[in-house]
Amino acid sequence: MTLDNVGIIGFGQSKFVKTRIDVTFPELVREGATMALENAGISIDDVDAVVYPLAPDALIGVGNGERWVIDALGAVGKPFMRVNNGGATGMSAVLTAWTHIASGLFDVVLVAGADRVSESSSAQSVLNKMWDVGYERPVPLNTITMLALSAQRYMHLYDSDETDMAMVSVKNRYHASLNPNAHLQSTVTIEEVLASRTLAWPIKLMDACPASTGAAGLVLVSERYAKKNGLKPAWIRGLGQNSETYWMGNRVGPKAMGDHADADALAVAFQRAYDQAGITNPREQVDVAEIYAPFSSVELHVIEAAGIADKGKSPAALANGDYTLGGNGVTVNPSGGTQCTNPIAVTGLIRVGEAANQVLGLAGAHQVKGARVAIASAIGGDHQFYSTMVICSDLEEI
Amino acid sequence: MTDAKFYEQTWDLQYKHALGETTSRFLEGLTQQKIWGRRTTDGRVLVPARSYDDQTHMPTGEWVEVGNSGTIEMFTIVYEPFKGLPVPPYALVYVLLEGADTALVGYLKGLDLKNQKDAIAALGIGTKVYVHFSKTPVGSAADYWFELSK
Amino acid sequence: MENSRKRVAVLASVGLLGNFENKKSLEEIIFDASKKVLDSLGLTIEDIDSLVLAGQDEIDGRVISIMPSTGPAGGVGKDTTLIASSSDHALIYGYLRLLAGQGKNVLVMGWAKPSESVDPDRAELMSCEPFLLRQIGMNNTIAAALQASKLVSQGLETSNSTGKLAWPLGDRDLPARGDSVYALVLAVEGSFTPGEEIAWIEDAGWTTMSYELGARDINDFSALKIAIEQISNRSPHATSKNWDAIEIAGDSEYVVRSVSREFELKSGVEINKSGALADLPTSPFVSGLARMVMAIDRIKLLPKGGNMVAGIGFNGFAGQGAAVVVFSGSKGE
Repeated sequence: MTLDNVGIIGFGQSKFVKTRIDVTFPELVREGATMALENAGISIDDVDAVVYPLAPDALIGVGNGERWVIDALGAVGKPFMRVNNGGATGMSAVLTAWTHIASGLFDVVLVAGADRVSESSSAQSVLNKMWDVGYERPVPLNTITMLALSAQRYMHLYDSDETDMAMVSVKNRYHASLNPNAHLQSTVTIEEVLASRTLAWPIKLMDACPASTGAAGLVLVSERYAKKNGLKPAWIRGLGQNSETYWMGNRVGPKAMGDHADADALAVAFQRAYDQAGITNPREQVDVAEIYAPFSSVELHVIEAAGIADKGKSPAALANGDYTLGGNGVTVNPSGGTQCTNPIAVTGLIRVGEAANQVLGLAGAHQVKGARVAIASAIGGDHQFYSTMVICSDLEEI
Repeated sequence: MTDAKFYEQTWDLQYKHALGETTSRFLEGLTQQKIWGRRTTDGRVLVPARSYDDQTHMPTGEWVEVGNSGTIEMFTIVYEPFKGLPVPPYALVYVLLEGADTALVGYLKGLDLKNQKDAIAALGIGTKVYVHFSKTPVGSAADYWFELSK
Repeated sequence: MENSRKRVAVLASVGLLGNFENKKSLEEIIFDASKKVLDSLGLTIEDIDSLVLAGQDEIDGRVISIMPSTGPAGGVGKDTTLIASSSDHALIYGYLRLLAGQGKNVLVMGWAKPSESVDPDRAELMSCEPFLLRQIGMNNTIAAALQASKLVSQGLETSNSTGKLAWPLGDRDLPARGDSVYALVLAVEGSFTPGEEIAWIEDAGWTTMSYELGARDINDFSALKIAIEQISNRSPHATSKNWDAIEIAGDSEYVVRSVSREFELKSGVEINKSGALADLPTSPFVSGLARMVMAIDRIKLLPKGGNMVAGIGFNGFAGQGAAVVVFSGSKGE
């Protein structure tokens, strides 16, 4: 299938912090929209349709929260819809915006949103109610335990240890120290990560993402609009989504479709995007990866699902200096990634925006030199919903 | 400049979730110290029992009673307190019971978790455990937990 | 550009339940509806390329609705997206996906199970912003009453429905509430045998207006007007003047009765022939999709020469948002 060309002409993001008390939630959403439009050099009047990412309503405390923020977005009177694919929402919304343009009905689509996770004092209790009402809610599962289980299984299957996870944290915190928008900006050492307190073993505090507050937005345009206005967007060359079983207990044992240690369903989503983009060897063809990994352990198997390393082999490559800015091979999460900044609703959107900045050479201190091809991904649910994208500075053969 | 104010709100939404016949029968089985699964059209036994299989997208059929012992497939020990969740530490395990093709989640009790290193050393993938049933079952998934096999 | 695109048809649709369902879980009724729509076409989930779902977390008591619903809907191993703003938007997004070349078909599902909630009105109250509106107390019924009272002040006759719940609305004026699930299979032309389709999608329009009830004229139908205008601009043949029937999920019968006053319609157009709001239990989150399914069903029941039916839904208090999908019985040129 030939894709219609859709490009990214604007990306805006705030400085992410723990708490913002100077603005209401709609005012924060407005920041994301305004920054994206300013970066694109257009006004809201130029926008044909708006897609809004928001994961659980409960975290901002208003049901159907999209209806509350429409005035702040400037979307009144425009085609408008909200996506909620859990943690993948921010990226699913970008795919939805891509679809709006590729349908031929629209030329300019804004995706903008915000999150203030710290506004709910019981976020992990809320997130426990993601699970099955009959069987799982009586057990205190949450987003941390679900990934601790995965990390523990990965360690077992691939003879990996907590130091491997700590190396990811050290890399990402170093990258985030170069990114003025990142939430956690201080560097850490392997010893500090290993000594940080255990949340749910093997996940420790410094393996985990923060609960971030802030806003972000993207502007997508059709190729005809870009040409007419002499714009040079970052081009979306491939995209994919895939879903895994809800039941973590179905991801173990000899008859499982995929193992909870890995992200096989994400590998399928990457393959869908690679097929469209003409990527046959990501290790050679991809320059930079902005992949959603809220915990250090997740990044290891996402690198593998992206085809950048074989299963179980990413820790050795990391120890060898791969994935780090200025190091060998594909640079992974030069922004510091989700592990250093996680405003849930827009985390996936930021992955795409950072990838676009990289291929356009706009990433500043965390720019990967000469980056042309970037990949982005996001994860939602209980490691259940996967979105992927290939972004390139041009429309030539990859 | 006016100080920014806060406004406290609680969402006290109440639900009475319909569990359906299959889950209801599974929970009823716990009060009789039985763990029930359901067989899929491709022959797998789903535990806990579900009326449909998300992999084949087909209804499940035959009820299958599975064993009360099995092996740990994954585990974590929680040390961080979370508002609204139990006081730590506590251990969560997914256990593949004898005759089951999917793992059942539950607490692992009866192990001293205070010393993290020792607790982790006592647990592993493949560690044998058995189901312990509550003497005062209430008909929910809290009516069982796992303990290490002697 | 649009003319070169493949057209999109509806191959099958089902709606399940209507009354309160206590014997089955939400996940089980989603599974039932998914199986039923696929069975009606002799398909299995293997034949479906992707899914678009719509659920409302607070009504059903699921914190991220897409998580428990994807499996029973058939989404494991597939591209699945949940549209949370309205189930009408899920149908429209399914349509956009196929126009954009994302596969040959899509399964669209929307649901609400208000019987899961001890107090569904309270769930609606939580969709009020916390600072002011939630203190005053607002829900779909009160907002519909405010809207109806304004329509009355502008000359619309009051109904003779008794047992006023919120003036001027009586129980016969309001939509009945119940658990319901809807499922549709959409497909692009060329991917199915001609004649297998039950309707073609001519176009869709949708928009959302200001959140604050005081910031908009709640009886001027501005969202619906803009949505129809989008269609008229793109597809003049599918404009409201050419509709033979309308199925509309009004917040009250006052809204249904206002449509013929507000819009230029064909004489003799059938409005809500499928039944009165009070007779077809559903929930505000899925009522629009429900009427779109009914609109599809109306096509074969139209008087001779009739061809085009519009399904209309609203979202938010007093029609903050509106969505219109226009269906026809024959492939337009």
